[in-house]
Amino acid sequence: MTVFYAFCASCIMGFAIYMLLSRNLVRTLLGLSLLSTGANLALFAAGGFGSDLPPIIAQGAEALGVSADPLVQALILTAIVIGFALTIVLASITLRIWRATGSLDARDVTLPDQKNLADMERSVE
Amino acid sequence: MLVLLLIALIGACLLPLAARYIGKGAGLLMALLPFGLLAGFVGLAPIVERGWVRGEGYSWAPAMGLDFTLRLDGFSFLFCLLITGIGGLVMIYSGGYLSDKGRGERSRFFTLILLFMTAMLGTVLADNLLVMIMFWEATSILSFLIIGFEHKSSRSRRAANMALQITAAGGLALVAATLMIGHVIGTYSMAEAVLRADEIGAHPLAPAIVIAIMLAAFTKSAQFPFHFWLPNAMQAPTPASAFLHSATMVKLGIYLLARFEPVIAETSWGRATLVAVACITMAMAAIQALRAESFKAALAYSTVASLGILVMLVGLDGPRATVAMIGFLFAHALYKAALFFCAGSVLHATGKGVLRSLGGLWRPLPLTAAACLGASLSMAGIPPFLGFVSKEFLFEAQLASSWELVPLTIAVLVNAVMVGVAGVITLRPFFLKPREKVEVHHGETFSLVAPPLLLALLGLTLSLNPDWITRVALRPAVAAVYGQAVEVQLSVWHGLTPMLALSAVVVSIGLLIIRFWRNIHLMLRNRVRMEQYSIENVWEYSVRSLVRFSIRMTKRIEHGDLRGYLIAMILGVTGFCIWAMATSGGALRFPVNDTPLRLPEILLMLLGLGGAFVAARSSNVLSSMLGVGLTGFTIAITFMLNGAPDLALTQFAVEALVVVLLTAMLLGVPLVCVRTRSDKEHQVDGLIALGFGLTAFIAQVDMAAGREASSVSEWIGQMSLVAGYGYNVVNVILVDFRGFDTMGEVSVIAMAALLGTSLLASRKSTRAENEAERGVHYSFSVASAVLFWMLIIASLIILYRGHNLPGGGFVGGLTAALAFAVLSLARGTRAAEAYLRVSPPVLVGAGLLLTVGAGIPGMLKGNGSAFLTQLWWEPGGFLPKLGTTMIFDFGVYLVVLGAVVTFLFGLQKEGAR
Repeated sequence: MTVFYAFCASCIMGFAIYMLLSRNLVRTLLGLSLLSTGANLALFAAGGFGSDLPPIIAQGAEALGVSADPLVQALILTAIVIGFALTIVLASITLRIWRATGSLDARDVTLPDQKNLADMERSVE
Repeated sequence: MLVLLLIALIGACLLPLAARYIGKGAGLLMALLPFGLLAGFVGLAPIVERGWVRGEGYSWAPAMGLDFTLRLDGFSFLFCLLITGIGGLVMIYSGGYLSDKGRGERSRFFTLILLFMTAMLGTVLADNLLVMIMFWEATSILSFLIIGFEHKSSRSRRAANMALQITAAGGLALVAATLMIGHVIGTYSMAEAVLRADEIGAHPLAPAIVIAIMLAAFTKSAQFPFHFWLPNAMQAPTPASAFLHSATMVKLGIYLLARFEPVIAETSWGRATLVAVACITMAMAAIQALRAESFKAALAYSTVASLGILVMLVGLDGPRATVAMIGFLFAHALYKAALFFCAGSVLHATGKGVLRSLGGLWRPLPLTAAACLGASLSMAGIPPFLGFVSKEFLFEAQLASSWELVPLTIAVLVNAVMVGVAGVITLRPFFLKPREKVEVHHGETFSLVAPPLLLALLGLTLSLNPDWITRVALRPAVAAVYGQAVEVQLSVWHGLTPMLALSAVVVSIGLLIIRFWRNIHLMLRNRVRMEQYSIENVWEYSVRSLVRFSIRMTKRIEHGDLRGYLIAMILGVTGFCIWAMATSGGALRFPVNDTPLRLPEILLMLLGLGGAFVAARSSNVLSSMLGVGLTGFTIAITFMLNGAPDLALTQFAVEALVVVLLTAMLLGVPLVCVRTRSDKEHQVDGLIALGFGLTAFIAQVDMAAGREASSVSEWIGQMSLVAGYGYNVVNVILVDFRGFDTMGEVSVIAMAALLGTSLLASRKSTRAENEAERGVHYSFSVASAVLFWMLIIASLIILYRGHNLPGGGFVGGLTAALAFAVLSLARGTRAAEAYLRVSPPVLVGAGLLLTVGAGIPGMLKGNGSAFLTQLWWEPGGFLPKLGTTMIFDFGVYLVVLGAVVTFLFGLQKEGAR
């Protein structure tokens, strides 16, 4: 199962990279969201598929019996939320860029740095 | 000494503030600080006089070999006297010179000069080389500020930049030298380094050390080919020039060379290099001094020539060379400062700096003329002035040393030029008839006259009555530099010696130069090529090319195409991954006893892969979003099937919210993608994605094969209930074992929310009627209230039971956010906002406070528990167990809710606009 899931995670990340490289900002942000999903799956697969019991201590027991790896789950849980936050921040930025420039092409977004650079070049000549 | 240094520093910061309130006499007040320090140093004279050394040390960063050690010996003492003494006169003079400037400007100037003085004192007093570097760099930076004092003039700025570029580059060489010395002898003490010069000389790094020291000294002391910054630095206000170029800044290079003379002497070529560079510098500076048009420029080039003489004297061997070096250093400081003062007074009174157009100023400025005359006689080396004595020393040292005739000839010629320049700068402006009438704006004031006059008089009295200064400063200084006591006898009349004959030759040639100055000057001025091919221009050109090159590089690296950046990053990550696998050794492994394949999960994942494929291939962003969502949901089910209900819950909530939020955004942007990649780029991207995926796959398979049971997971499984009082291990990890981590993550989400509030600035009512018109099905509108409350209650239950059963703050917060999403979809954003009552950032802030606050009680318990040590309380009876983790988790809940709702409302409003 692990190999299969590793394959799936790699495929998803590959598709995500392909989307990420598009210069369309919406596709880039969707790609990033997909990438974080794929990465989470890869992380989950790293925990192994030894048991399908949740890591919850049975009533009356003192310690955790056989179960899925709790550590990996704790890591992924926060990663899901952070990935989500990243996606919606990017969504907000994309929307503002669209409003400001009327374009979703990343090439149309000029950084202030590049303007400075042009000024500097003029001053050197 | 540290006390004096501290007084200097604090005084430099505070005293000039007073100058903002005092008009006249501010300079006199400022002079109290340097003169007070001078008195303090004179109080230390008895120590130095006996040839003792006073050291003070404070441990600073011993692990780095950095100790704040100060060391006062004869050489440092001489410098301290010059720095503070001339510093005081500079202060008085500046008071008069800057009288027409604003008080704020003047106060700034005082601050800079006094700070500069402090840095100078620190440099010559420091024993630890690292400490010395700090002060050394401070002098570079402060001189930059002083030279660029008239920052509105582009020439000043250029001169300041040039001085900084050159001297700071030299400073880097000094850092290199220091590190190498520290490496060789294992300590950064300068005294130690000098003592163990033979050890350094025997080390293979010796040539590098000597070259680095020379670079530092040559840049600071304006030696060829780094000399050109000094004449340019004349853009500084004249009192600053008097300070920087007579006693302080430029002498630091000499100080460094003199200190490290034993090390330099260890190499076979060290002394020869010094003498050669000095000779070139002297010859070049002498010609330029005759060519210079303005009073200050002539002085500047003569300073360069004098520095050349000093470097040569360091390079010559024998005790007489050291005596001559100390004597000339002292005499030069006195007369050069006086001459700069005179040049400043002339400039100030007439507004003219060009020598040819000046004349007859002895009538309006008689005392200045007298001071100039006295200082010039000293510079020309006419008996009985101090300059004469030092020049005798110079020739004596040259005759006594083992050198050939070339340096001697150059020294004679350069001294003759000095006589000429001294004559011209006195006779031309003050005593010769002007070609046209020179207007004088004002007469002499005390502040402008006293300092140069005093210095000129000192040049005379000290040579006639040299006992005190010889005993206190010169003899100990020579001893400190030479390493053993040397007889120093300052007297005007040595009898008929070869030196006297050389002096006579020098003066005769000098008189000829004065006679024919005009012809020589004009002839040299017509050589325009001297400017075109000057090193200054080469330097400027190379600095410009450097900037041009860096602009080109920046354009290439920071090209502004997101795709390029991402490709670089992805290829980098892939490359590192492959590199790590390749270098870890051993063949790639394959898991041997993997769990068997399960068909339902495989079918499910194929669906998920389909979603990802659609997302990647579709040209419509809406279908892409649905594809991504599909993958997310299948992953959530996978989590569910493999024993991770917490993850499944979270993923479900997130996917639902992503759909709501992104839809809100997509309402505002075009859904169909315009082509942004060419076919070729599509292929390249496909290959990159394939390469990345393949690498990730191989890495994961290899990792899975090497997997071992995690001892951390096991420990947590055992301790979760015992120590964390929770059955749900995942939640216990989040709120207790890794609580600090979670707090960090919650802060990240809070920051994202903050970003959201500023990105999606709350726009006032986005046409409320518009929202009402939206066609929402009646049943959904009615059901929404019920759904809302059900979701809110569910979220609270999820939050509460999270510690023992699947759930917790993260999922709870997301579920509550879903409730608001439903409400805003059914009744509009404004209605949802009204339901929330408070503004979302308030929730975020309150949540953050709770998470942090939950960590404090544990800390206060007092048995040394750390922050975020969770506490538990069992009230008994019906009441359940209560713990600070609940507060913590509630904080997480609020932050997540607040953040998501911030974006929800913001995006909905912004998207509907």
